[in-house]
Amino acid sequence: AKWCVCSVCGTHSPRLHACLHCVHFACYQGHIQDHSASMQHNLVVDVEQGQVLCVACGDYVYDTDVGRIAQACREKSRRSLGLDTEYRAWEPDQVEMTLLQANPKRRRPTANSTIGLRGLINLGNTCFMSCIIQALTHTPLLRDYFLSDKHVCQFNNDSTRCLVCEISRLFQEFYSGNKAPLILHKLLHLIWTHARHLAGYEQQDAHEFFIAALDVLHRHCQGNPPSNGDSTHTCSCIIDQIFTGGLQSDVVCQACNGVSTTIDPFWDISLDLGPCPYGTSKADKTVPTSLADCLDRFTRPEHLGSSAKIKCSGCQSYQESTKQLTMKKLPIVCSFHLKRFEHSNRLHKKISTFISFPEHLDMTPFMSNRRNNNNNHNGVTTHPTDINNRYSLFAVVNHVGSLDAGHYTAYVRQHRDQWYKCDDHMITRATIQDVLQSEGYLLFYHKQILEYD
Amino acid sequence: MSDRSTQLKNSINQKLVETGEKERLKDMLRQRLTECGWRDELKEHAKEIVRERGLQQITVDDLVKEITPQGRQLVPEAVKRELLAEIKKFLSSQTQ
Repeated sequence: AKWCVCSVCGTHSPRLHACLHCVHFACYQGHIQDHSASMQHNLVVDVEQGQVLCVACGDYVYDTDVGRIAQACREKSRRSLGLDTEYRAWEPDQVEMTLLQANPKRRRPTANSTIGLRGLINLGNTCFMSCIIQALTHTPLLRDYFLSDKHVCQFNNDSTRCLVCEISRLFQEFYSGNKAPLILHKLLHLIWTHARHLAGYEQQDAHEFFIAALDVLHRHCQGNPPSNGDSTHTCSCIIDQIFTGGLQSDVVCQACNGVSTTIDPFWDISLDLGPCPYGTSKADKTVPTSLADCLDRFTRPEHLGSSAKIKCSGCQSYQESTKQLTMKKLPIVCSFHLKRFEHSNRLHKKISTFISFPEHLDMTPFMSNRRNNNNNHNGVTTHPTDINNRYSLFAVVNHVGSLDAGHYTAYVRQHRDQWYKCDDHMITRATIQDVLQSEGYLLFYHKQILEYD
Repeated sequence: MSDRSTQLKNSINQKLVETGEKERLKDMLRQRLTECGWRDELKEHAKEIVRERGLQQITVDDLVKEITPQGRQLVPEAVKRELLAEIKKFLSSQTQ
């Protein structure tokens, strides 16, 4: 940096070039051209980018080997400064180039395009499945994966056995431009075969379907048959890459203050809505009215009563303890399940209270490092919001009606942030206000910033 | 161009490069310009120019001359302000 100045005028100009024939640095605005003319040194290189200029031709010249060397040097310099890899736009390889040339027709969605939207015929209480399929087909990363044909089938592309193949086919249908509604009989059959607990003609729970679908997709994605103790930590299938997060559970022994930490994978966060049944503090008595309230309660330290003593490995005795859940690793898609149907307690009623949720969500206050750094729970510390923890809403599943007679609909965010309501085969335009004022049962958020590993 | 101001410019630049701040600021700028669609718009414009003139007839300099005015004009104020703020922050941290 100290020596990278023009040999003629001594300034560090923006397009400094280095002579490839001798040791000489000069500005692009005349000085390097003078040098080339006087010394007959025609080839010079841009020190920032690594592009080679032929002064005689008056333009840059390109060579694949030189390009590779330039890129390697840039990578090296970035790494030495502690920066991430440079973002490189996608370039087609030989096979892709041939395919592109053989298929010259290009589809370009206009601003009003309805690409990606298709209705789903209700086959008799199948709206629980339709709304989840709508949410999945509008999950940006998942859509990109399937539209770029990345699935390698372990069942020899037998779509009667492989759920991933069927989902892949559905994505192709959704984005084909065809507007006619689809009939998901094949998908339904596959789900009934692989998730027996969902078979039958009654209305099922959309959340249960969501988890079952992810589970079957995850199993069918894996190359090898899953071993016992299906370790989702080491799986790198697309489902895990997108949906799996890590939930940290810290149990603090009240006697010796020893902390026992475990991290478990999760695909979604189920949030309680009623008043806290066993809480003692004032905060526990209030009912949540927003997603933030729910997440606050979810990550609040909870005193496990005297009837739930844990064996502490530190002091080797049964002691009372507090337990706290925090987010260790955030998934790319954060799915929230508002527990409106309590099947466990005596009240078989639906909790219909309005829970407000934002269009953009910051998960920073619920992260594990917040807990690890300050052990005082009462301090309202202001944390610098990490932009990596920011999420945007892209789908909402709503349940209308009561526990016995209900109907599911979904709002999805399509091309150019336009929202649509999906009610079985009817797709209608909606506004973000419609979405934010809806009751909300399942909320799907997508990370705003993606990092390359 | 006075020697003193050149010296100052060079030493500031040296500090920016050596700490990696220059690269980091460039990354941030690239990201902001991509996010607001600046990059895509300019890319389209450049492609049009190449299509008009023909790939063999055009030089990098020609392209730079054509798209620079539009490029300069399209940078959002917010991005300029953010970059300026970051530079100021860095400079004040250096004179400690």
